[in-house]
Amino acid sequence: MKRILAQCSKELAQFRRDRLTLALAFILPVMTLFIFGFAIRLEAKNITLIVQDFDHSNLSQSYVERLYATNQFLPVQWSGTDPIRDGIERGLAKAAVIISPEFSRDVKAGKTSVVQVLIDGTDVNNARVIKNSIQAFTNVFIQDQNLLQSSSKILPRIRLWFNPGRQESLYIVPGVFGVILAIYPSLLAALAMSREKEQGTILQIYASSVSAAELLLGKGLAYFIVAIGQTLFVLGLGCTIWQLGFVGDPTPLLIGSVVFLAANIMFGLLIGVRASNRSVAVQGVATVGFLLSLLLSGFIYPLSNIPFPLSLITNLVPARYYIELTRDAFVRGTGWSGVWSAPLLLALLAFLLFNIARKIIRRMQLSG
Amino acid sequence: MKLFRRLIESRFWVLSVKEISQILRNKQLIFLLVFPPTIQLLIFGFALNPDVQHLKLGITDYSNTPMSRELISALTANEVFEVKSATLDEQALGEQVRRGQITAGLVIPPNFNRLLKSDQPAEVQVLIDAVDANTAGIANGYMSQIINQFSRQFTPDVVPPIQTQATILYNPGLVSSWFIVPGVIGLVLNLGSSLVSTAAVVREKDTGTLEQLLMTPAAAWEIILAKVVPLFILLLGEVILALSVATFIFRVPFRGNIFLYLFFAGLYACVGIGIGFLLATVCRTQQQAILTSFFINLPLIQLSGAIAPVESMPKFFQIFSLANPLRHFVTISRGVLLKGNGLDVLYPEALALLGFAIVLLTISTNKFRTQLS
Repeated sequence: MKRILAQCSKELAQFRRDRLTLALAFILPVMTLFIFGFAIRLEAKNITLIVQDFDHSNLSQSYVERLYATNQFLPVQWSGTDPIRDGIERGLAKAAVIISPEFSRDVKAGKTSVVQVLIDGTDVNNARVIKNSIQAFTNVFIQDQNLLQSSSKILPRIRLWFNPGRQESLYIVPGVFGVILAIYPSLLAALAMSREKEQGTILQIYASSVSAAELLLGKGLAYFIVAIGQTLFVLGLGCTIWQLGFVGDPTPLLIGSVVFLAANIMFGLLIGVRASNRSVAVQGVATVGFLLSLLLSGFIYPLSNIPFPLSLITNLVPARYYIELTRDAFVRGTGWSGVWSAPLLLALLAFLLFNIARKIIRRMQLSG
Repeated sequence: MKLFRRLIESRFWVLSVKEISQILRNKQLIFLLVFPPTIQLLIFGFALNPDVQHLKLGITDYSNTPMSRELISALTANEVFEVKSATLDEQALGEQVRRGQITAGLVIPPNFNRLLKSDQPAEVQVLIDAVDANTAGIANGYMSQIINQFSRQFTPDVVPPIQTQATILYNPGLVSSWFIVPGVIGLVLNLGSSLVSTAAVVREKDTGTLEQLLMTPAAAWEIILAKVVPLFILLLGEVILALSVATFIFRVPFRGNIFLYLFFAGLYACVGIGIGFLLATVCRTQQQAILTSFFINLPLIQLSGAIAPVESMPKFFQIFSLANPLRHFVTISRGVLLKGNGLDVLYPEALALLGFAIVLLTISTNKFRTQLS
């Protein structure tokens, strides 16, 4: 125990002296928080839209007016005759609506008149959103103009839970917490461990009576303290800016945070032990950490969308469980009954990583 | 022939040969240019999937008639929804939505069939878990559309007055990897070019061989050019590798001109090399260089539209991202691959990239030269 604390205080002293790393330890997370929190949005607002109205009737004009009045679409200036070639292909507009000359005549004659919608499919997600919203708008328009004699027979009464205004920040920001706290604490831990290797001071530790477990726990404890600081800082800042608050029992998140940080620091130490120098360690953490916690954690798109062999890997990504916890604490609010398994699995992962790192150090101690 | 002889005998050539052999001997560098890009393309392409399919649907069917079962099968017909649970307890259904076990819950009232038979409107209740705002929005849209369509069968004599006929251009099947992969090619090229060029300069600084190079009669521009050209060729190789992964594994269409694409990729490689050199001249050690490259590459990538579309960002970030060379390359990449755009459409982006390349390379070579002399 004494040796662990000594290791820890030595590490903290070293960390405090290194100004650059100290600054990076807090500036990088904040920068990431701002960029991810503000800029990652999936649904486009103000979709550029071209309308070609060949009908010029009152009905078609009110259709167009009401379409723009949904505040989802933005009219664009364009010149030419072909909305595909002159508008969408040039990227001027994301979609085009073409109203045929027979539009109002057909409606009055009781025939179905077809409005043609052309959508730029490059952005798959928004193409789907555009298609849905123009279709939904048309249905509303039909009802508002009393164009249909009989109203719809089945009325769906849809309620959106937890996030009725569908604010994307409520989904993205709790996820950002998970990504940031997965990457930066492990980065610092990896740097510290690989520095000992690069400078050769690790040989002195090998020669001393410090055991592998004591070395890991000592270093881990030091960076755990730093990581708690980072966590409070990032969560506090994020909650203030995006006005998030606990909606349920905060204890699952508190306990989850502790085990999550432990798992990440063990991961960082593991990479640091394996890497031959600091730049390899940083690149290892950055590549593996970013890929896993950004792409395989359910941060952007639902986890269930990840196809089979990759979906197995998601079970080993700590950020995945932590994001479950943050979303529950800030949005869903089910508390222990909903997320009891996440802290347990995180603890299991932390223990696993600790043991792997310990084995590797022990093997090196013996051979060296 | 004479020109060729002069090239072979020039100091530039000798230095280039030295760079190439150094690069080829550096297994880590080659590894860095082959392995991470392939893995990144594969994981990004497969894992970043915005498809809204097989949403978990919970059912509380109090009516339990052929009519209500028909409605349920209409919802599950095109695989948007998938029945995960059926319960006769509304509370339990709500609890499942609350815990996120199901994405949507449908409650069909007991008098559903009776109301419809007696020509009265029937109300069904739908609960959607909106923690994931994007998926919830799309699920909401599908839900009302399907129910709307289903209820049309009760009034067969009434034709809908207006119908929209949507045509999705460029990617009619809405294959998500066609959106992600062309963007990730830009991301991979950006990381590759900046990291490798930083490493090439910083290594000489770290080992002190830069001073030795300075002692030779080679001029500064010769040293720099000899560093740029081999890197440039390597990076084009990386692009071709990435393009092969895109076309052969993800079946992304290549509708534009491949030489035009390589030209743009070359332009972006120059931008990336410029960024890398700049980092290398500013930073003293490799560790500093790598940490600062975080600072540069993170915003470059996140604000490029490779992962989340630029159009969805707040206005401020949309304007800000115009100063991001990677954003222009991502636009070009998608334009050439998916839309088959040529220079007539992409000239603004091309000019922007050219500007970035010139400015970055001038600044970094100037800094490098002052450090050399």
